[in-house]
Amino acid sequence: MAIAAPGQLNLNESPSWGSRSVDCFEKLEQIGEGTYGQVYMAREIKTGEIVALKKIRMDNEREGFPITAIREIKILKKLHHENVINLKEIVTSPGPERDEQGRPDGNKYKGGIYMVFEYMDHDLTGLADRPGMRFSVPQIKCYMRQLLTGLHYCHVNQVLHRDIKGSNLLIDNEGNLKLADFGLARSFSNDHNANLTNRVITLWYRPPELLLGTTKYGPAVDMWSVGCIFAELLHGKPIFPGKDEPEQLNKIFELCGAPDEFNWPGVSKIPWYNNLKPTRPMKRRLREVFRHFDRNALELLERMLTLDPSERISAKDALDAEYFWTDPLPCNPKSLPKYEASHEFQTKKKRQQQRQHEENAKRQKLQHQQQHGRLPPGQQSGQAHPQMRSGPNQPLHGSQPPVAAGPSHHYGKPRGPAGGPGRYPPSGTSGGYNHPNRGGQGSSGYGSGPYPPQGRAPPYGSSSMPGAPPHASGGGSGYGVGGPNYPQGGPPYGGSGAGRGSNMMGGNRNQQYGWQQ
Amino acid sequence: MLGSGDLTSNLSRQSEPSPSESTTPRVLTILSHVIEKLVARNDKLVDDMDKKLDGVSSGLARVGKSLNVFHGVRAPNISIVKYLERLYKYTSCSPSCFVVGYVYIDRLTHKHPDSLVISLNVHRLLVTSVMVASKMLDDVHYNNAFYARVGGVSNAELNRLEMEFLFLLDFGFVVSSRVFESYCSHLEKEMMINGASQRIERAIVSNAVDDVTELSVEDTQSSSPPQGMD
Repeated sequence: MAIAAPGQLNLNESPSWGSRSVDCFEKLEQIGEGTYGQVYMAREIKTGEIVALKKIRMDNEREGFPITAIREIKILKKLHHENVINLKEIVTSPGPERDEQGRPDGNKYKGGIYMVFEYMDHDLTGLADRPGMRFSVPQIKCYMRQLLTGLHYCHVNQVLHRDIKGSNLLIDNEGNLKLADFGLARSFSNDHNANLTNRVITLWYRPPELLLGTTKYGPAVDMWSVGCIFAELLHGKPIFPGKDEPEQLNKIFELCGAPDEFNWPGVSKIPWYNNLKPTRPMKRRLREVFRHFDRNALELLERMLTLDPSERISAKDALDAEYFWTDPLPCNPKSLPKYEASHEFQTKKKRQQQRQHEENAKRQKLQHQQQHGRLPPGQQSGQAHPQMRSGPNQPLHGSQPPVAAGPSHHYGKPRGPAGGPGRYPPSGTSGGYNHPNRGGQGSSGYGSGPYPPQGRAPPYGSSSMPGAPPHASGGGSGYGVGGPNYPQGGPPYGGSGAGRGSNMMGGNRNQQYGWQQ
Repeated sequence: MLGSGDLTSNLSRQSEPSPSESTTPRVLTILSHVIEKLVARNDKLVDDMDKKLDGVSSGLARVGKSLNVFHGVRAPNISIVKYLERLYKYTSCSPSCFVVGYVYIDRLTHKHPDSLVISLNVHRLLVTSVMVASKMLDDVHYNNAFYARVGGVSNAELNRLEMEFLFLLDFGFVVSSRVFESYCSHLEKEMMINGASQRIERAIVSNAVDDVTELSVEDTQSSSPPQGMD
């Protein structure tokens, strides 16, 4: 950091990243909590501006600076668009360590590294899950158009996002939607000749070509995820809530039909096609299942959820779709209602307290009834275990999926250092995923995460762990705004097996969501 | 401020790679030549300052402090070319990582013009820059712990160096294909001046530069390289 000579001013140099300390910000409250660290809402002292501080977890000594953070920083430094989250700077914290004389010990990074983002009030999943929330058609069009605009910008800049899902779409109270979380993103070339990993994108939003094991893909993978989100907004709940890869594929085939060389030329050459191809003929039922959707919406959805990635609609063409140009038109973001900021991390805490109170009352009653029959320890301690962050506001409903996280707000999504636990799940039985760079985390994070299976955020999917929450981010995701649509009266989440049901479609989200016609 | 690990003795404890094999990419030869020249010039600069100051204070004290964390107590006795070959041999990173590593070091010295790459810091700068480049570019790469063993520094020290490096670079990791190409030309020209005409193997190289395609194969399961060297 070039320091001006005494008596001179460094007027034309903007502060370089990392030159400032986190002390320039006043932490207001924690809004997220994950395995990677914490997310805070903070105020820049000098300007009063509200920001989000995301701490980069640095505790894996062998990996050093997490590669996901390196790549996210690299990509976000390059992307500047109103529908892409803005990384403002990186700040450091010297930490509390002092030498014998009480001076800071000179290691200015000891206290941690923080990424400073613009502050966003909500994420799409969290917003959609608010009790009584009902998106209007112009509102859905408005969000979809912003999502596609941001994604189109990424794609023309040759960046694949590779983790498009509701909790990574942040929304502020001006109605602006921004893509966030580029920890899995990467540059791509147009020739599609590079081999890329197929272990990306949260399971529920993962396209069939990745599930079938292709390593050559492009922007169409993100468009499948967009289709899933679009359908989810219209339908009121996730449309492909698979619990592992085979089930995920099956759910896709049930709705979109079975792939064959006719509707998807080349599909039989995809690595795992022969192992995973459908055992019985299935015809496409998309139009039938969603026949109540608006005609133009259905038309667009058809083209997003096209099995053959080369036939799938691009972000640019989607923006030109009739849907966005017929009445009712997408509304102006500014005209959208403002919602009280809610961060799951906080609402959870409140609900947790409330739950604990209820549970205590219940337990007392129970103990009173059966003086000698105490609850099994697991159940007892399970009620309000501090680690079960996703629990309290999402008591398991019988029909909920066996998955880990509650809807997670982007900032709060726990992210292991390189790639993060669960991002690259072992496909085999043991340590499985053998990337020298990620293997370490993969094996530790995946499935051994401290969080219990609950909530509705989709797993990254692991066929090796049926039933277990394959998503280590689990409750840690914390900061999601969502979850409150699950009734408080659900069974206590400590209960064994609760929430193992795989029939997501039977969930109750549609009760609040409202079905859009 | 001085690097804690004794890089030379750490290295000598490990098996020495066999002298340059035929497979050694030319970029290593060119790069080590260019860097050796740079280091020799800067060492002399510091030396001359020493003489001018006549022992009152070290010339080194006049050099900017930005790179201090990379300074060793004394220069390791492994040559730059041997060190680069060693990094290449054990980490099997792509040759382009060396070019990008060089781009990073060059950016560093431009951002901090009073800081000199000298024999006391060049090895640590190289292992850090090549490691960061590999993290940016390579599909498959070893973790810091492995680079530390190959580079002859402790894991903790390398992490510290990495962090310092990232911040000194201001997180400016992006190397466009255009910039990459111009550095290749520059390195080749340097070589021409010395009478040897060599071309850097770009075919391998440009494939791995970001903006175009940063990786050719990314973390596919089969791609795990052999673990460790011990």
